[in-house]
Amino acid sequence: MASSSSSLPSPSSSSSSSSSKKLVLRSSDEKHFEVDEAVALQSEMIKQMVEDGFGGDVIPLLNVSSNILSKVIDYCKKHVDFDSKKKMDDRRRWDAEYIDVGVDELYHLIMAANYRNIKGLLDLTCQKVADTIKGKKPKQIRIIFNIKNDVTPEGEQKIRKEHSWAFE
Amino acid sequence: MQRMEQGMSKTVDLSALPESCISNILSFTSPRDACRSAAVSSVFRSAAESNTVWDRFLPSDYQEILSRAISPPPASILSSKKAFYFHLCDHPLLIDDGKKSFRLDRCSGKKCFMLGARELSIIWGDTPEYWSWDSYPESRFQEVAELLNVCWLEIRGKVETRVLSPRTTYAAYLVFKLAEERQGLGLVPAEVFVSFIGDGVGEVENHNVYLDEYWPSYDPWYPFLSPTVLPPPASLRQPEGQSPREREDGWMEIEMGEFFNDQGDDGEVQMCLMEVKGGHWKSGLIVEGIELRPKQSN
Repeated sequence: MASSSSSLPSPSSSSSSSSSKKLVLRSSDEKHFEVDEAVALQSEMIKQMVEDGFGGDVIPLLNVSSNILSKVIDYCKKHVDFDSKKKMDDRRRWDAEYIDVGVDELYHLIMAANYRNIKGLLDLTCQKVADTIKGKKPKQIRIIFNIKNDVTPEGEQKIRKEHSWAFE
Repeated sequence: MQRMEQGMSKTVDLSALPESCISNILSFTSPRDACRSAAVSSVFRSAAESNTVWDRFLPSDYQEILSRAISPPPASILSSKKAFYFHLCDHPLLIDDGKKSFRLDRCSGKKCFMLGARELSIIWGDTPEYWSWDSYPESRFQEVAELLNVCWLEIRGKVETRVLSPRTTYAAYLVFKLAEERQGLGLVPAEVFVSFIGDGVGEVENHNVYLDEYWPSYDPWYPFLSPTVLPPPASLRQPEGQSPREREDGWMEIEMGEFFNDQGDDGEVQMCLMEVKGGHWKSGLIVEGIELRPKQSN
């Protein structure tokens, strides 16, 4: 997946038709990824950059590491495929497997999806966290997601009092 | 899920996500989970207040429902979606010329409606000797129906399924009170049912309910049934079927039946209560309406 920039063809020379046009993305650890434009355009942020004329160059993604970027590209590729086939069951199955990751990876995927503005991936990752939160107590949520409790006991008491029905 | 809960290599604190991401996450949970999550950390707390979250919990057609209100909620409430959500949970909104009311189920945000007595079809309801229409200070509606005297007791309501929350199990409840002076309501069970109209499923299942406790002094036939004045044996008193339950608003209710709302936009559900088999005179039933609300509040 990752390659050095010197071996990549220049994007402008490879764009004979819009479907085969390539874009080059650069991760925070300086790895380069060549992807079909349609795949890259799943990201609203990249779409905006292309529209603003940045498409011919390497697109730097300053805060996305290569292992997360490669995972994000997997998602975008698959969903370009899915969009053309409309098989909802396949999509659901694939998504479920894709998102079965640890907390750290999930965190980085949310950050990447949010930063690059990929709505489908953002919703998938947020839904995953939401499904885990459902029915759990604040203390359990803190443990699962490694969250530091910065609410004072009085503050927590106040929240519990305000919505006592939710804590029953 | 499993991998996550086993706690593999956890170094990042999820609270470090931008607040907008936490709001997005909470909007995929439920009102109950969002309120509970507010106690997790300060960023969760402020995310749980956001309009993003509560906008998602409000029904998609709330604007349209609001436009049917006879008096809109105070404008100050509308700026915070959370405040507005809870306002709609706690203050049923009178809609459609005040004949129905609308509120939200607190835990799920699903839609609840009450059809006021004027929105129901009550057999003999227009005959002043049999039913009277009075205003009642304890009622949210302008008028309630009081049963003066009938042999044929039949109350029906219907509702289009498109107005209800989709893919939700609803139950219908008759909301009523019993007058001090009443008779005949606990003598034989009333039959209730809830069904889709015209779905050709065949037999509709009836259930028995008792609107009142069986007590011989209310029973005009009692002297003929039994020569003694002792209370009837327990087996005779409500042997089967349900008894009414008191509501938080001071009225009583009894479940008429339930249904799963999966009929899309075209379905119509009817609710019915009748007691026509006893043949005796009945009086003292005060009907506020029929409420439809999600069966499980979670």
